[in-house]
Amino acid sequence: MTEAYLVAQDLHKSFNEHKAVDGVSFSIEKGEIFGLLGPNGAGKTTTIRMLSTVLEPDSGDIIVGGYSVRHNADAVRNLIGVCPQELALYEELSALDNLVFFGRMAGLNGKEAKAQALSHLELLGLKERAKGRVDKFSGGMKRRVNLAVSLMGHPQFLFLDEPTVGIDPQSRNNIYETIEALRDKGMTILYTTHYMEEADRLCKRVAIIDGGRIIALDTPLTLRSKIGPPEQVTLEDVFLRLTGRSLRD
Amino acid sequence: MATNSHGGKVLDKLAKPLLIALLQVRIYLKDRADLAFSFLLPIAIFALTYGAFGGETSFNGTAHIVNEEEGGLYSALLLDRLGEVDNLDVDLLSASKAESKLDRVDLLMVVFIPSDFSERLEAGEPAKLVFKQRGNGGDEGQIVASIVGGVANRMAQELQVRNEVAEAVADTGISQSDMENTVQQLLENERESPSVTVEEEIVGVSPDIVNDLMPGILVMFVLFAITLTARALVEERKRGTLERLLTTQLSIGQLFVGKFLVNFSRGLIQALVLILLAYAVFQMFTPLAFVESLVIVIAFVAAVSSLGLIIGSIARSEDQSIWIAVFFTMATVILGGTFFEIPESGILSVLSKLSINSYAIDAFETIISDGDSLSDIGIQLGVMTGVAVIGLFIGRSLFRVMPGGR
Repeated sequence: MTEAYLVAQDLHKSFNEHKAVDGVSFSIEKGEIFGLLGPNGAGKTTTIRMLSTVLEPDSGDIIVGGYSVRHNADAVRNLIGVCPQELALYEELSALDNLVFFGRMAGLNGKEAKAQALSHLELLGLKERAKGRVDKFSGGMKRRVNLAVSLMGHPQFLFLDEPTVGIDPQSRNNIYETIEALRDKGMTILYTTHYMEEADRLCKRVAIIDGGRIIALDTPLTLRSKIGPPEQVTLEDVFLRLTGRSLRD
Repeated sequence: MATNSHGGKVLDKLAKPLLIALLQVRIYLKDRADLAFSFLLPIAIFALTYGAFGGETSFNGTAHIVNEEEGGLYSALLLDRLGEVDNLDVDLLSASKAESKLDRVDLLMVVFIPSDFSERLEAGEPAKLVFKQRGNGGDEGQIVASIVGGVANRMAQELQVRNEVAEAVADTGISQSDMENTVQQLLENERESPSVTVEEEIVGVSPDIVNDLMPGILVMFVLFAITLTARALVEERKRGTLERLLTTQLSIGQLFVGKFLVNFSRGLIQALVLILLAYAVFQMFTPLAFVESLVIVIAFVAAVSSLGLIIGSIARSEDQSIWIAVFFTMATVILGGTFFEIPESGILSVLSKLSINSYAIDAFETIISDGDSLSDIGIQLGVMTGVAVIGLFIGRSLFRVMPGGR
């Protein structure tokens, strides 16, 4: 029996009258890449913010690595790394400076932070540009720095919120390879994306969220099988079937 | 061991806010636009103001003169003597040009030397200068008239002395040239080493423009940092770095203290440059007054940083933060007496008590101009420190990385 590393139990979150997340529950196994898919405004980011201790749920709880986000958020923060959708970097500084700074904030000392930063930059193919200013980097390089920052410290669980949005195929491929390498080393990952082929390639299971609720949760293959022959149906077809084709803001 | 462990934890808790401050100061020092705004602009404005109004503690003016006497000995002598007066320029005009300028109000006072000026003096008759003026001739005109009158009177007195000496020695066999040389020598000695001299001694507030302007300009530019502080906080919230920091082992309290230290450091660097400039270039301070001014700067910068954090905490967009900060800054600058002296009673006086600037400017003036000590500005320091502390509590309670979140 596989061990659940993250368990989300009946999460609710409202902003004024708007229910952003309405009873979300799921669990993620250790070493699994779990996809959270949904149209804009479906509740993905709010869910990730609650899982990563930034937002407190109105009700429900989240257990990460055996610790409750509600009652022991500090312990949870020791276990997680977050790669937000925005390029949350200090672009006036070098890639190395960014990584070292966030490493220090994650509890590393100066020496450890520098060693880890160089190692992560090498992993993401950026070692040669370690001392270059981030604002001079291409979009793809910035995305890779964004991912590298989330690896600082000793995270065992990664939240990757659309880490490949708007980048070139080379950078995207580098990020895929990095994520797969991390998974092979035992990292547990929650992954959100709008690229369905990404979810199909990387995720062991995906949950589709809409209107603050999870409307489907299974392996990509099983989800595809539910609406037709899996070799003829894409995850995008499943997504559109379940969430509708109307445009979302 | 327990103490060491506790001490280590405290140090660790302090280290992260300091690292945040250090990082942001590095960014600040790399941002040339921010640096220019913080340092060069106040220096440039101060230099311009100083160039326009400063550096002069005595009168400077021009005597506009029409000499209607062609080749007259004493009119030429008068013009020479006026040319020797410090800080007075002589502008010779034709009669028609002078009249025209008086008509157009280009000039308020012109001295006319009449055509019989030398002739009358040589004949021992009273000569007169004519001061043509519009109204009272203006402040400069009155001062110039007084100077010209004084020089003319002295010249007339010298001539009278010469005439009386000549009369006294007329039958003694002393030659006219010997007498002229001796009298000339005596009068020149008297001019070079007058028996009565005047020494200026400044009591109380120095009339130096530097002393008058520097506190206001320094305080105003440190206060402008409120806008940068508020905007930076909103900008960081927008680009997601604050949210990302909250997913590390950094507590929200440490993050807030870090942000306070960032703004405090930036404001302090900016203020330090200005007071070092005042100290090194304008010699405004004694070494003790310099140290005391540093204490004022620290209290004021702390207060300003707290206020900036409050604005940054309540603003939901960069535009909002800028407008709130600009409105607050302008109101505080105007009410603080930066540009004009606040009367000691009345509504403005009451309102000025609500401006943190008034306490800072008051404290600087007490130290720099009045030469008093820190014990004389206890109230001002207390108010500034109080604003800093209360501002921090209010800012912290309003501070959210995102709506509905931590």
